[in-house]
Amino acid sequence: MGKTTVSINLAHSFARAGVKTLLVDADPQGSVGLSLTRQSRLLTGFYDYLADPGIPLDRLVVSTRLETFSLVASGLASDYEAGGGMGAHLARVRAFLRSAAAHGFQLCLIDTAGGLFGVTGDVITSSDAVLIPQQAEPLGIRSVPKLLEGLTRLQVMNPRLSVLGVCLTMVQNELPESTEAAVALRGLLPPEMVFQTEIPRDGLFVRASARGLPIGALEDGFGAQMVFDSLRTEIEAKLKPTSGHLAALR
Amino acid sequence: MDPIYPWLDPIEVRRMADRLMRIDCAPKASFTDVGFDEGFVGFAPATPATPATPAILSAHEKIAQTPITAAPPRAETLEPPAGVSEPSQLGIKRFRDWMHQEFSATEVFILDGEGEVIFDESGHGRLHFLARSLALESRRPGWSGGHVRLKISADATLEIIPAESAHRRLVLGAVVPQALAAATVVTVMAALTRAATPPTV
Repeated sequence: MGKTTVSINLAHSFARAGVKTLLVDADPQGSVGLSLTRQSRLLTGFYDYLADPGIPLDRLVVSTRLETFSLVASGLASDYEAGGGMGAHLARVRAFLRSAAAHGFQLCLIDTAGGLFGVTGDVITSSDAVLIPQQAEPLGIRSVPKLLEGLTRLQVMNPRLSVLGVCLTMVQNELPESTEAAVALRGLLPPEMVFQTEIPRDGLFVRASARGLPIGALEDGFGAQMVFDSLRTEIEAKLKPTSGHLAALR
Repeated sequence: MDPIYPWLDPIEVRRMADRLMRIDCAPKASFTDVGFDEGFVGFAPATPATPATPAILSAHEKIAQTPITAAPPRAETLEPPAGVSEPSQLGIKRFRDWMHQEFSATEVFILDGEGEVIFDESGHGRLHFLARSLALESRRPGWSGGHVRLKISADATLEIIPAESAHRRLVLGAVVPQALAAATVVTVMAALTRAATPPTV
């Protein structure tokens, strides 16, 4: 449980708050689609849009029962996406974001593949902001310097990129290694770079994923949804000064 | 044993983090302002698109054996800027001509290590911006190499090649029809170094 769970549930939180939200699955493994839509592998999606300039955004957008919440699946072409050089899809990624804005989406939240290269690099160099879900475990924390180096490089390419911060996920308060990792990260980074909200490891997420629902849609998911509402509130405070309302997740 | 801190340099991590967070959240500039306009089609692949041909390699050997300060291909009167010695300006001019001749380069410009323009035939501040940003970034510890290229249109690639002269670090920018091979980049670096170094008296 990491970035995909954060993406789905955070996007759902924004949509419930009335923000017209487009959640985009830019992970070639199609985690968002696999979590929410059984037929997602058959949908035309983000990577098809990158590969074919003739595909309009309208063909990609999947509506949900919540009027303000729409999805774009990963797509059929994602099977052939193996990273590639950074910049190869930059123009199409930017065309996608412009089109999303033109369709009235106020927030385009992109669940990217891991790493900071290839299409992920193109998405981040085209976005207004980046949020970093980080699992609360020692190995993940050790990779933080590499992550910061990569983001610094991308910020040179995209000087308006705002780093919203790191959100600790899979926090297990009963496990000393997990809590120690969380404390270490907070000691390592400036306070404004680590969100106060932490996403706990919880069986509810597995249940929600199994049913293809955001956690807030479960009968007993109210408490967990509040966690994401809290994260949303923190992000809104940071995004407020910007005008683009576009964010990328890695 | 601490499972985290022995693997990290906390001071360096904090420095990088502080710098990342320093950005003003307010929108700073449009894409056109930061050097990526509608005509920008993406970065060139990491691997050079075309290997050096035998003709190019032969030219490299010839250049390597010929002092760059030899008689220029065509005589020109130059007005060196203050602080730059005339011999190095002549050398740079000859270097520019060589770039034109051997690689069909256009828009050649050279910045110094501080980003100041010391030679320019492009007149495109946007290209300078890109070169300056990438060259400065390439000086950071951990960067794998100083040479960077950007594909700026279907048939044009901006090569950004750093070189060290006797007095300062230089950054060459040149638009070429096809990406330069790695061996060619090395040759260009050496040629620029020689061109910018005044002959010893």
